[in-house]
Amino acid sequence: MATQAAPTMTMAASGPVVDWDALAARARGARRTKAVVLYSFLIAVSLPIILPYFWLVAIAFSAKTGVAETAVLWRSMAVVVPAVVGFWLAAALAQTRRQLWIGFAAVAMIAIFAFALLVGPDLHLGNFIFLWEPDFASVVRSRIGEVRGAVQFPNVWHAFGNSILIAGAQTAIVVTVASLAAYYLSRFQFPGRSSMLRSLLVLHAFPVLTLIVPMFLMLYWIGLLDTLFGVILVLVAFELPFAIFIMKGFFDAVPWDIEMSALTDGASRRQAFVSVVLPQVRNGILAVAVFTFIRGWEEYIFVFTFLIRNSNWTMSLYMYWVRDDVMGVDYGVVSAVGVFYLVPSLILYVAAQRYLMQMSVGGVKG
Amino acid sequence: MAKIEFRHVSKRFGAVEVIPDMDLVIEDGEFVALLGPSGCGKSTSLFMLAGIYLPSGGELLFDGHVVNEVEARDRNVGIVFQSYALYPHMSVRDNILFPLRFKKTPREEALARVKAAADLVRVAELLDRRPSELSGGQQQRVALARALVKKPQLLLLDEPLSNLDASLRLSMRTEIKALHEQLGVTTVLVTHDQIEATTMADRIICMRAGRIEQVGTPDDLYLRPLSLFVAGFIGSPPINFIAGKAEGGTLTVNRTRFPVEGASGAVTVGLRPEHLSFGETGFPGRIAQIEPMGREILYVVETGMGAVRVLEQGSSAGHAIGKQVKVDFRPENSLVFETERQKLVAGAHIRATA
Repeated sequence: MATQAAPTMTMAASGPVVDWDALAARARGARRTKAVVLYSFLIAVSLPIILPYFWLVAIAFSAKTGVAETAVLWRSMAVVVPAVVGFWLAAALAQTRRQLWIGFAAVAMIAIFAFALLVGPDLHLGNFIFLWEPDFASVVRSRIGEVRGAVQFPNVWHAFGNSILIAGAQTAIVVTVASLAAYYLSRFQFPGRSSMLRSLLVLHAFPVLTLIVPMFLMLYWIGLLDTLFGVILVLVAFELPFAIFIMKGFFDAVPWDIEMSALTDGASRRQAFVSVVLPQVRNGILAVAVFTFIRGWEEYIFVFTFLIRNSNWTMSLYMYWVRDDVMGVDYGVVSAVGVFYLVPSLILYVAAQRYLMQMSVGGVKG
Repeated sequence: MAKIEFRHVSKRFGAVEVIPDMDLVIEDGEFVALLGPSGCGKSTSLFMLAGIYLPSGGELLFDGHVVNEVEARDRNVGIVFQSYALYPHMSVRDNILFPLRFKKTPREEALARVKAAADLVRVAELLDRRPSELSGGQQQRVALARALVKKPQLLLLDEPLSNLDASLRLSMRTEIKALHEQLGVTTVLVTHDQIEATTMADRIICMRAGRIEQVGTPDDLYLRPLSLFVAGFIGSPPINFIAGKAEGGTLTVNRTRFPVEGASGAVTVGLRPEHLSFGETGFPGRIAQIEPMGREILYVVETGMGAVRVLEQGSSAGHAIGKQVKVDFRPENSLVFETERQKLVAGAHIRATA
């Protein structure tokens, strides 16, 4: 409406002269101080968390039987902490990509050199004796002159195999059942659907220990006590609800349209599921598989309770008994077993990181 | 190719009745549009045709055979979804090949048909790409190729153009119409956009709240709308409605007299903006807004009976905002509706319609 134009604006800035440079400098200073305080705080808080991991690795590669000394640990810390600070400084100060790489390379060179000089001579693989010497407990004990009373350990590769078997079988069952159940929950309407969704989460509220006695009795009655299969079934039962819940979120995100399209294109419901819907939730399946596998790999309470014979030991039980038998005599061997136990899940995490990052649990939709 | 018949078809979802009772015949090779606002049951009808929804009652016939319970995969129906619904994990070639996978078509023949379908909609050079690497228009073409490769007896288009930008929409409109002429396949288009419906379809089925309001050619619906709803829904800019009480064949509003022969009681007069003009006679008003539309100019005029839209030919406005004008109308162009029943009662255009 041209005839009713708004009154002319008369609010243009006409106050006292502003020193923009001073304001900018002040803001810059505040930003820098904030960053320094924040990073210092985060580093200070994360040290106690990172230290145990570091301890594990450093001791596994350096400790000697009967010597409870931590000099190597501190010396390596003296290399690693300045190195981390150095990387950080390089990243903060570098103006160009080229300077960044040069800075990183310089810090890395100095760190490697210092590490080789200060820590290098003390590193050895002797603590990994359990990998080739099944009766390593006796060997370790004999080093300090104590021969009797060593636990009869099974071959570590046997325990390793048992762990792989439990984690793998559990993963296969959970992924298969969870995918099918979640698809049905996501796509079909049936009586009791929403209460089922709610109870899925309630199942997760039970602390594991409250169920361990009834579980033990059940396994005993069925005759699956002290069998790997029994433990696999129990683990599957505990992991399924959450896996179904996560998979349902992934199926919910698959549009109805492409499924309908597949049906009109001549596919049956099952063919549409396999050839069109399932490929869309591939990342979800991978994420659930990785988490389930690692959960089974770490499992300790159930295997400790339900498995008795040492031929059924898993890596966690092996680790437990090693700690029980040679702790106090040899930190090194315990740490080395720990590192050996850690490696597979670490590799799995690193390999699957891309998919795990995409996982998010959606809200419950009725 | 198929002749489609709805006989008293109804559809309920739980307690909600989406379509109470639908009767419709679509001739073999016809291009019809299901037109209506969202929630009017047009997509539900489409999904019943596709075999995705089972009708709650009545009979659905393809070429005289009841297909109510025939599975979607056995109906040989091609469908293009609003979202295109391409399979994201497959190449364009595999997408178009997908419908043939379940028909046990020999590999050589299947690939030849994929090639032919891709050529038809001009996506032959995109066969090795993924859907995510295509533009909206290209995805649309691939979806068309996938629907056509199985030589469907019925092609269903669910809001196929609504995700395209304006210029692409224009060219796809022409292309889809040309494709229909070339292939002669019975086609049902679902849309809420009257322009899409009027430009592409031979016949339009205008729906409202699950019921068919009117079936007719685009001209029928525009010139002879049988109800207030159709008159208001078809036409852009929309029709003007003037409501009041008729006495002795005349509706008098603010001392302006509209002839409404044969009607009495509460009536509504519909006047299309292009049938109004500024002149010496007519009802008075003040120009409140001017919207240039290229070849035409739309004036919004404040009058004693509310805002009235007037469309004038020409590309520059001959009147300024605030000007006092008189809006002239010709009685033979007016549509008269019973306000109560919302039905058309009289009008110069009406000849033999009820």
